[in-house]
Amino acid sequence: MTSTFERLSAILAKDYKLSPDRLTLDAPLEGLGIDSLGTVELLWNIEDAFKIKLPSDPVDLPTLGDVVRFVDELVLRQAADSAPAAGASPELRAT
Amino acid sequence: MRRVAVSGIGVVSPLGNSTAEVLANARAGRSGIRRLDIAFAKRLSAPIAGTAQFDEEAHFEASKARMLDRFSMFALFAANQAIEGSHGALADVDRSRAGVFVGTGMGGTLTMDSGYRTLYGDDSDRIKPFTILMGMHSAAAAWIGIEHALRGPNLTYSTACSSSAVAIGEAWMRVASGQLDVAIAGGAEAPLSPGSLKAWEALHTVATMDADDPSASCRPFSKNRSGMVLGEGAAMLVIEPWDRATARGASILGEVIGYGHSNDAAHITRPSVEGQAAAMSSALQSARIDPSEVDAINAHGTGTQANDCTETAAVKAVFGDRAHQIPISATKAMHGHLLGAAGALECMLSLLAMRHSVLLPTAHLQQPDPDCDLDYVPNQAREGAAARTMLSNSFAFGGTNAVLVLRGSS
Repeated sequence: MTSTFERLSAILAKDYKLSPDRLTLDAPLEGLGIDSLGTVELLWNIEDAFKIKLPSDPVDLPTLGDVVRFVDELVLRQAADSAPAAGASPELRAT
Repeated sequence: MRRVAVSGIGVVSPLGNSTAEVLANARAGRSGIRRLDIAFAKRLSAPIAGTAQFDEEAHFEASKARMLDRFSMFALFAANQAIEGSHGALADVDRSRAGVFVGTGMGGTLTMDSGYRTLYGDDSDRIKPFTILMGMHSAAAAWIGIEHALRGPNLTYSTACSSSAVAIGEAWMRVASGQLDVAIAGGAEAPLSPGSLKAWEALHTVATMDADDPSASCRPFSKNRSGMVLGEGAAMLVIEPWDRATARGASILGEVIGYGHSNDAAHITRPSVEGQAAAMSSALQSARIDPSEVDAINAHGTGTQANDCTETAAVKAVFGDRAHQIPISATKAMHGHLLGAAGALECMLSLLAMRHSVLLPTAHLQQPDPDCDLDYVPNQAREGAAARTMLSNSFAFGGTNAVLVLRGSS
């Protein structure tokens, strides 16, 4: 199975045109040209790719490794949360 | 007031992406209006537009392109080209005395349209995080300021179809008065989103497509005109004090010598002879020249019934009997209506025309109209014409009229 890091690297290589040899767990996002504003967009892409819902609070993720840990935690937590109550929440359905 | 030179020009347009290309096409009467090559075209009654042949990926790195709406890309490309052509206008400038003045009518409308499609078309809440940053009207000017570290006034004007004439005029006033030492001024527009195309169609001001020759669909001052054709692009000027530019040895492309502005205060779309004439008169006054010194005019010339007849009457009101002797070019027949970028593109075309001693044609003027009986330079450029002073007219929905007075440089 493809690891979170590999999937994240694939996004960075494709959408951000970053060379794979720069993508390491300890690589700072700033050093890859992704500042705090860029991180907002990266997380938005991740949300779609990993089928997770991000919290609205801002998060501080200095390195790629931090992003990987953050995503893994969310995937685990949200898989557990959605298990008993499948389907969209009522407020999402209300229009 | 200081004498103000234009020392650099940059452009992205349906007529080309360099001054040489644009001039060559305009001179030859070649139209940049084409059939629209997008899936949505089948839903348009007239699927035509003046489109820029512009490879976004070739000009911007992925990391930057993802933050730029097409109108900002146009603006940046044109500004960079203009700055490069000025041979050092920004090299030793006091950055706090360097400003950016951009006109745009619809700003990042492609970005907003794409967001709405997600929201309403796809019934999804996944709006892209940069939608606001890309969609805001001020983005183009902001990026030019960021890229060149210009810390003076960074202003965006949105007065519909006169936006960039206003931007250039307002920049000229600041440079002429001594407030600024250099300004990047012009306009940018990328209005060819499905929503915008459909909204313009709904207003019934756009031309029907010429079935035989789509590129000839916009016919200003011709009896068989049927309306305007939308276009996209940008034009940017570097303007600075004459003495500063010449001291550096920059090549001077022309001068802005006056700017007039008026508001019809009458009707939201219907133009007014009095308002347009007032803008032309006020422009002449600001340039301190007599009407007899105007050699030629670049008309607003949209190809709508309302504009063409009103503009003709307004020129007569300002110039009297001499109106018949003044050659008038309506270049929108070739590049379409770039809305907020139209004034800047036409200002640029006027400067180039004077510099190269040519009067640009009003293309597709097939049938003389008794209500439009001036000299519109029909269909053929006039080579060897020595125009020294030109007006560039820009009028707008909302009634905001702006007129630039330009002087050529040989």
